[in-house]
Amino acid sequence: MSPLTTAAPGAPVVDLDLADLRRDPYPAYAELRRTAPLAWVPSVGRHLLTRYEDIVQAEKLPEVFSSLEEGSLLLRTVGPNMLREDDPNHRRLRSAAEPPTRPRQVRDLWAASFERTAHEVLERIAGRGEADLIADFAEPLVAANLALVLGLRTASAEDIADWSRAMMAGNSNYADDPDVWLRAERATRAIEGAVAEVAEAARREPDGSVISSMVHADGPVELAEIQNNVKVIIGGGVNEPRDVFGVGAWALLNRPGVLDRVLKDPASWKRVFEETARWVSPIGMYPRQLTQEYEIAGVTLPAGSRVALVIASGNRDEAVFERADEFDIDRPHRPHLAFGGGPHFCMGAWVARHEVSAIAWPLVFSRLKGLRLAEGATASDSDSAAGRMDGWVFRGLTSLNVTWQAA
Amino acid sequence: MPTVIFQLPDGTERKVTAASGTALMQAAVSNGVPGIVAECGGNASCATCHVYVDAAQSGLAGPPNDVEDEMLDFTAAERRPTSRLSCQIHLSDALDGLVVHVPEEQV
Repeated sequence: MSPLTTAAPGAPVVDLDLADLRRDPYPAYAELRRTAPLAWVPSVGRHLLTRYEDIVQAEKLPEVFSSLEEGSLLLRTVGPNMLREDDPNHRRLRSAAEPPTRPRQVRDLWAASFERTAHEVLERIAGRGEADLIADFAEPLVAANLALVLGLRTASAEDIADWSRAMMAGNSNYADDPDVWLRAERATRAIEGAVAEVAEAARREPDGSVISSMVHADGPVELAEIQNNVKVIIGGGVNEPRDVFGVGAWALLNRPGVLDRVLKDPASWKRVFEETARWVSPIGMYPRQLTQEYEIAGVTLPAGSRVALVIASGNRDEAVFERADEFDIDRPHRPHLAFGGGPHFCMGAWVARHEVSAIAWPLVFSRLKGLRLAEGATASDSDSAAGRMDGWVFRGLTSLNVTWQAA
Repeated sequence: MPTVIFQLPDGTERKVTAASGTALMQAAVSNGVPGIVAECGGNASCATCHVYVDAAQSGLAGPPNDVEDEMLDFTAAERRPTSRLSCQIHLSDALDGLVVHVPEEQV
């Protein structure tokens, strides 16, 4: 089914400026939910679906809302991969890659190394008394953890972080900047080389990693498939845990009372994680393409229609989350959409939950005494007003400058 | 077609009838049973369709499979001997009248 690059008949057309969306997408999403929950947005070339219930409905119908979107930026950046496949091919690849990311494997196989690495990364900055917790702590930590889980022994944490940044930029390159494409291509070539080398070694000696798991999968998986899927995992595997770490830490540093309660009740780190992922979802939206005509949010979409499931908007839907714009770890529990849903439910969810809520946050807040935000940036609760969040396809803090008593 | 009863945390119950072969989770979701979140759509990777099989019927639904057993260690509500992921229970005439309890939390 060829993609339709025009509005469905009867769909409202809403002009949204991409720069505004990057700066702060939430006011636009609130307006869309109120007035046009399915809207064609020309600058994005898709219909944006913005209400919680509609997104959940779409996620439950993968045979209608296909992940096989033609001409997607992700396909252009990394080549065919499991995120842009439907079952059964998606299932084949996911089953091959998934075992090392399952929760028991995370606990038994990776947790001790994650913890050791977190201590090492923190030791590098502990004596300084000031740091950017994104660049100096979260990113190196999650990149090193990811290299371990993937089995990319020859790549440094810096390599992983650089590759991830370059590919994520490509994947959200709606402005079609040629320099962005060039950087993404350099990164993907480097990953292909590294994966080929490691896959060969893992064939001889399995090591429990994702690459090893794919090499030894029951159903055959080609090297190119391993390479492309590792690219996708490097993209999400750095971004998402890094951004949840940063946004959650920032939210707590702005709310000393809440932080104090969390420190007294370590079990509540889990709630901090889920509320942070709801409040500012690291992945804001993902695309789908309709395999058949389907009516949703009052509009009949023809087959081939391109839709963006805007989970960042669903997670702020007032119909589901009271005072949805507020960060509140005590809110009545409703499942958020940040990990996506259906067969594509985030494969790294258990890795991210563990490395951030069981290791990174508790360590940082216990080890760095007197930790507080630098630059007197504590006044505003609003992520937008603070001006240090960026992105709408992917969203997180660009920096988190803090100080502490360096004893 | 087998009928299954979901006992909800608020004390109410929901009866759901679905074709044999249907996953219990799918029967719940299709009929809007609250509390069965099923984020991953039935692939045993999210642990959000957790149910407790009624103690009197624990033999009826059988034990969890290996992958399910792993996920059951990570459910939001406590794991009990009767815990199952409803996506891994497939309805059949033998399960007609099955009673399952929906936990307070899924995530």
